[in-house]
Amino acid sequence: MDKHKYSKKTITKLKRLSSLPVVRALAALCFVVFIGMIFNAEGAFFKWDTHRDMLRHISVFGILACGMTLVIITAGIDLSVGSILGLTAVLFSLFSIHLGWSPFFAILVCLLAGLGCGLTSGFIIDRFKIQPFIATLAMMVFARGLAKWVSGGQKISTAVLHPDGTYKYVEAPKVFNFINSKIFNENLAVVTLIFLGSILICWVILSKLRWGRHIYAVGGNEEASKLSGIPVTATKLLVYGVSGFFCAIAGICQAAQEIQGDPEAGMTYELTAIAIVVIGGTNLMGGTGGIGLTFIGAMTIGYLEKILSINAVGEASRLMLTGVIIVGAVLFQKYRK
Amino acid sequence: MYKYLNIFIICLVLLVSCTGNKDVPQSKQESRDAMKPNWIIGMSQCNLGEPWRVQMNRDIKNAAEENPKIKVIFKDAQNDSLKQRAQIEEFINADVDLLIVSPKEAAPMTPPISAAYDRGIPVIILDRRILGDKYTCFIGADNKKIGKAAGLWVVERLEGKGKIVELKGLMTSTPGQDRHSGFREGLSGSDIQVIFEADMKWLEPEARKEMESALARFDQIDLVYAHNDPGAHGAYLAAKAVGREKDIIFIGIDALPHEGQIYVKQRILEASFEYPTGGKEAVQTALAILNGEKVKKEITLPSRIFTEENIDSVGEDIEQYFK
Repeated sequence: MDKHKYSKKTITKLKRLSSLPVVRALAALCFVVFIGMIFNAEGAFFKWDTHRDMLRHISVFGILACGMTLVIITAGIDLSVGSILGLTAVLFSLFSIHLGWSPFFAILVCLLAGLGCGLTSGFIIDRFKIQPFIATLAMMVFARGLAKWVSGGQKISTAVLHPDGTYKYVEAPKVFNFINSKIFNENLAVVTLIFLGSILICWVILSKLRWGRHIYAVGGNEEASKLSGIPVTATKLLVYGVSGFFCAIAGICQAAQEIQGDPEAGMTYELTAIAIVVIGGTNLMGGTGGIGLTFIGAMTIGYLEKILSINAVGEASRLMLTGVIIVGAVLFQKYRK
Repeated sequence: MYKYLNIFIICLVLLVSCTGNKDVPQSKQESRDAMKPNWIIGMSQCNLGEPWRVQMNRDIKNAAEENPKIKVIFKDAQNDSLKQRAQIEEFINADVDLLIVSPKEAAPMTPPISAAYDRGIPVIILDRRILGDKYTCFIGADNKKIGKAAGLWVVERLEGKGKIVELKGLMTSTPGQDRHSGFREGLSGSDIQVIFEADMKWLEPEARKEMESALARFDQIDLVYAHNDPGAHGAYLAAKAVGREKDIIFIGIDALPHEGQIYVKQRILEASFEYPTGGKEAVQTALAILNGEKVKKEITLPSRIFTEENIDSVGEDIEQYFK
């Protein structure tokens, strides 16, 4: 009798545990890693290098997803992240390669540019009551155009056009090499460290600051938040501003890794960023979710891409499999009895 | 009533000032008439998102600026067939003297281009073909031949055996298919093995990701053949990150002056095969047509190979590999 009671208690405990978003997100991640262990491409999956490279590749998307998480918790969406990434990648390359600014100054101006783009989106959304989808769609198109205008349609690379029509090659600035390098005995990419830093910043915002509670409240019920005296306007402005800020960080990382500023960089990255957030388990309707989930989501997408890549799966099957697994992971998240 | 009167007066003032403005710069307009070009050329580019096509427009612009008799109007269809169709119709309605079109796709672009040709506007088709023969001249390079030259170069460089990686461009596009099949044709008969191939969609970050996978899987890679130079550069960065860039030879295609040629100069790529834009040739042919000369219906552009030895001169013709 006693034994029966005990096991029943354990079962309910387990049930409650399994309904936690974190546990479900981790389960999806474990499932993908498990697939990787089976299809390990002659042991390539068991090498640390594979995991380090996966982390490097997913970092830029992950940084975008950090800002996206805050936006989605307020029940908004930010479609402009890929374009702002492209814009800041171009600006960073232009400032540091072609104009020879000091890295500190170049990074500062790029971060301000990203912040400015984000704040503009937030202002338009809040002031004119335009839906986030539309406002950030406009910013997506505008920022892409601005990136192309600033760069003249060409990649800003270490090949500098001289007035006589010939191209001269210049060394890549040190800051590019640093961001593109690896630390801890070549075991971790610097961009991954920047990604982890971004996660930490978001965690502090969401869990330690009063502002974090405001973000959840606005996403849960905007009207009620307004009536209870929460500064809704400021919260929304800051959320989109922070998203733009993270786009600038991602743009700087992208430029450093490509050793050039490509005005086309970041095309469709917004979709990957949204997928990361949603697979982690943050609800698109707002009010719930967290940055830890986004981190797990980034790992899930990263491993998925890596496994398909090391097994040299064809492009057609790759796209279909990605679609199926994304739906599977989200359904898994949603299923609650 | 006074309200409307005010508006009326304002309108009147505006009208007067407008007509007045028109009178002033008449002398300017006259001088502009003297500078007016004899011929207007409409140039419809299918997608300025690609650096190679930006270079094509630049080549056309540079060549056209040398001749004051012609003026080129550029339009960008932003990778949209219907938009390009509308742009060609706009050019027809504007009565341009000649059309240069780099079409996005054959089938949807054939009717508007044929319509222009039927109305007596000479049409030069650049890079991609249309269906039928209702155009004045086609100018383009041969991707398959370039791919084959790359294959033959690899066989010679690796002395007939080795393990290589192929990073393909978008395989649903004809340049990707031709650069792949031509390359394999060039390799045939040798002991060279393609141990890893992946579609990097012409994108550098994708190429870097795929190359990382190849490096994780294979300890010996002798050469990487990428369907464009950014792809080869991405692969180089992946190899450099694990300190294996010295053991691998990298080659790419396109050889744009600010991309592939610079990479060869930097010793990142050992070779880059030029895929000429044909911009300069298009303007030369256009001038010939407008001057009433007869031109060939098909012009195949010669391609060059750039290597460390010849990068400071002008490259070498790839014909040498077909002898």
